Amino acid sequence: MAESADHALALLTELDGTGRVIAGGTDLMLDQRVGNPRVLVDISRLPEWRSIEHRGDRIRVGALCTHNDLATSALLQERAVALVRAAAAVGSPQIRMVATVGGNVVNALPAADTAIALAALGATAEVRSAAGTREVDLLSLYAGVGKSTIDPTREILTGFSFPIPGGSGFKRLARRKALALPVLNVAAAVWMDDGLACSDVRISIGPVAPAPWRALEAEHVLRGSVLTRETISRAAHTAMATAVCRDSIRACSLYRQSMVQVLVRRALLQALEGGCDE
Amino acid sequence: MNRQTAHLRVNGRVYELEVDSGATLLDTLREDLGLTGTKRGCSEGECGACTVLVDGVTVNSCLYPTMKASGHDILTVEGLGTMENLHPLQEAFLRGGAVQCGFCTPGMLLAAKALLDGNPNPTEDEIRLAISGNLCRCTGYAKIVSAVQDAARTMADGGSVGAHVPPLNVVEPVTVRGPAASAGGVGANVPRLEGKAKVLGAARFADDLSFPGMVHGKVLRSPHPHALIRKIDVSRAVALPGVAAVVTAADIPGRNAFGILIKDQPFLAADKVRFVGEAIAAVAAESGEIARRACSLIEVEYELLPAVFDPIEAMTPTAPQLFAKGNISAHRHIERGQVTAVLAQAAVVISETFQTQLVEHAYIEPEAGVAVPDTGGITAHVVSQCVHYHRSDLAAMLGWPVGRVRVVQTTVGGAFGGKIDLSLHPFIVLLAAKTGRPVKMVYTREESITATTKRHPFLIDMTFAADREGTLDAAMTRVIGDTGAYASYGPAVVTRAAATAFGPYHIPHVRVDTYAVHTNNPIAGAMRGFGVPQMATAHEQLMDMLAERVGLSPIEVRRRNGFAPGRALAPTGDIRDGLGYLETLERAAFGLHPSVGGDGADPQVLPLRGERL
Ligand code: FES
Ligand code: FES
Repeated sequence: MAESADHALALLTELDGTGRVIAGGTDLMLDQRVGNPRVLVDISRLPEWRSIEHRGDRIRVGALCTHNDLATSALLQERAVALVRAAAAVGSPQIRMVATVGGNVVNALPAADTAIALAALGATAEVRSAAGTREVDLLSLYAGVGKSTIDPTREILTGFSFPIPGGSGFKRLARRKALALPVLNVAAAVWMDDGLACSDVRISIGPVAPAPWRALEAEHVLRGSVLTRETISRAAHTAMATAVCRDSIRACSLYRQSMVQVLVRRALLQALEGGCDE
Repeated sequence: MNRQTAHLRVNGRVYELEVDSGATLLDTLREDLGLTGTKRGCSEGECGACTVLVDGVTVNSCLYPTMKASGHDILTVEGLGTMENLHPLQEAFLRGGAVQCGFCTPGMLLAAKALLDGNPNPTEDEIRLAISGNLCRCTGYAKIVSAVQDAARTMADGGSVGAHVPPLNVVEPVTVRGPAASAGGVGANVPRLEGKAKVLGAARFADDLSFPGMVHGKVLRSPHPHALIRKIDVSRAVALPGVAAVVTAADIPGRNAFGILIKDQPFLAADKVRFVGEAIAAVAAESGEIARRACSLIEVEYELLPAVFDPIEAMTPTAPQLFAKGNISAHRHIERGQVTAVLAQAAVVISETFQTQLVEHAYIEPEAGVAVPDTGGITAHVVSQCVHYHRSDLAAMLGWPVGRVRVVQTTVGGAFGGKIDLSLHPFIVLLAAKTGRPVKMVYTREESITATTKRHPFLIDMTFAADREGTLDAAMTRVIGDTGAYASYGPAVVTRAAATAFGPYHIPHVRVDTYAVHTNNPIAGAMRGFGVPQMATAHEQLMDMLAERVGLSPIEVRRRNGFAPGRALAPTGDIRDGLGYLETLERAAFGLHPSVGGDGADPQVLPLRGERL
């Protein structure tokens, strides 16, 4: 049990590759059973990495925030609804109480809901090690399915930061409302200029690629234009046309692909209309 | 793994103990503190049976490191209420029939408690969300939701109503329906006899038992669907410190074959494996972990055989054969009247093919049991739906007279037909016989899914012939049930399927052929309804198609053909008693459309084209 950030890093250094960071542990405890169990350095009780703060025109989210923290945050509800919805969709109440947003990203699974939302929000990640802190683009943390560029035996993901969007949305398709991995999840965030045109937009989709997949061409359709139902539909269609979906046990590629259009449209509408459900 | 000291406050009591740094709170509660009210259903955060409260918050204790709980307040079901003073939630669950097998109940109660602590007057949606991480396979949730509402009301009225709940084993009417009910007789609403133990977490399921000197068992399973076993070398496993015994087919003193209808399955495969997950060897060791490691040290040499997974292909002579007698385990044929002639002349003929899927029972309690040697015999405390059958096959395995084996059914956490067959019973009994020590085994969720029986997937071709008014005259069907590697209940399932092939409809001319066919798929056995639900998917859809074809409502076409006194010819013959079909249909119609259904309704008011029953 680490007592402070420095203590956690000191423990990792001392264990020299044989220790491993644990936060919520809802995924890690499963891995521990197979493979070689390692000494766990528990960072989950460090308050400095569990806050959600407004900083200028950005929001910073500590990596140790649980899914429940995000799902019930008034600040996020007001400024980054996509992250609220994504966090509320994960697992079950029991999982959300324990599992952290940092863990959801470090686990690097392509359908991780909060990672999809953070990618749309254009988040950067802070990574600390004995050598210091580095700030990197969220998507650069992905090295493959289930593989992160963060070395959990030496580094700690401490938080995320993203520019406050004009609006954001998150939509998810799964077989059940609880305890089901998504067939598809889509997050969208839009930033407006003074003339109500869209100055920037990000759309991210999972599980399509090993990392959250940005629908760049669909974004291109919207950037610089005024968002209307018509432009949104066009962007949604473009997203569908450019997404390369795969077959999996949860859904066939054809179904996934057609749902891309539906979910992208709904996520964008939610981003515009602020939390409305279709 | 290194040991650390944990300080836990559980149900108000303080404990200081040494645990592995990777131990889960569930392990610690159950194994170190003996608090077995918290259940293990999956170990993966999926079922919620292990739910406890840490500082008032619900967590899955199977994923929660004990060290993380150190210094914090933990509430388990044992801390919720007592025999004399139940918590209002426990009373409401008991009163409202929200407890069936009781395996999900402790977790469910704690999830509900966390909700009510923060929100004393929740809506139905809030309750459903709060228990969305807790699976129940028995109750269908409706009664659980209303029990939580009931408890919320009681608590708002000022807390406990302990006096309303009768003490254990005393039957007292709660809701009174008529004079007989008031005397506690037929029609009385009585609390479940063992319910109180279940809401208290005191009911003893098989995994809750432990005996002095007990060792733990694990099974080595085949990774191949179809292969010959060339050689089994257990020497490295036997040599592993902590291993008490290793058994293979060679250690079976009696008959190495079991099965409730046909003795076609070996307890431990001797020369051939027929599905992925078939047991080859079993190990007993001082800990489950050592037993697991020992299993991985057993060397098995296989010669792979071509496998067959499609039952249609399996019926052809060129397909890989699972048994010398061929792949057809059972065939039932029923024929009455002139089916071919009637079909040739019928005004309406409808023919379709239906495919139903394999279904896992998914009871929340995985298989578990302990076999305890005693003077002259062995007693197995184990999950079971069939103690007498289990006992006779287990005695035959040992070559013992039946009287030396006792099978005691523990409280069972859901079965649905899946615990009729033997699962881990032979392994613990054989290992207990060999070691002379109590042997416990608990299947993991993966093992439970891989190795135990399923519902038969059916491929059904069915044809109906009727006149223009929609009255059935003839029907024929061919059904292929994939019974997997061994017969289990397959022959009985296809017998029932044949007998109920066309449901509750009067049909004079019939031809039925049903088959149970072996493939290298998982074994299919008994599951709720025994082949009848599969047949219903076919005949009910055909009825709807017939209605559409002749322009009747789905209800009317059933009225015309449904069993009624003097008109109830099933494939197996005339049914004379207990015909409630038409009354049931009228009630269902009334439930669907109160304005038009019910007695005396004009059938033509129910066109409902395209609407399915
Ligand atoms: S969720 Fe913990 S045992 Fe199933
Ligand atoms: S009563 Fe819920 S699983 Fe049996």
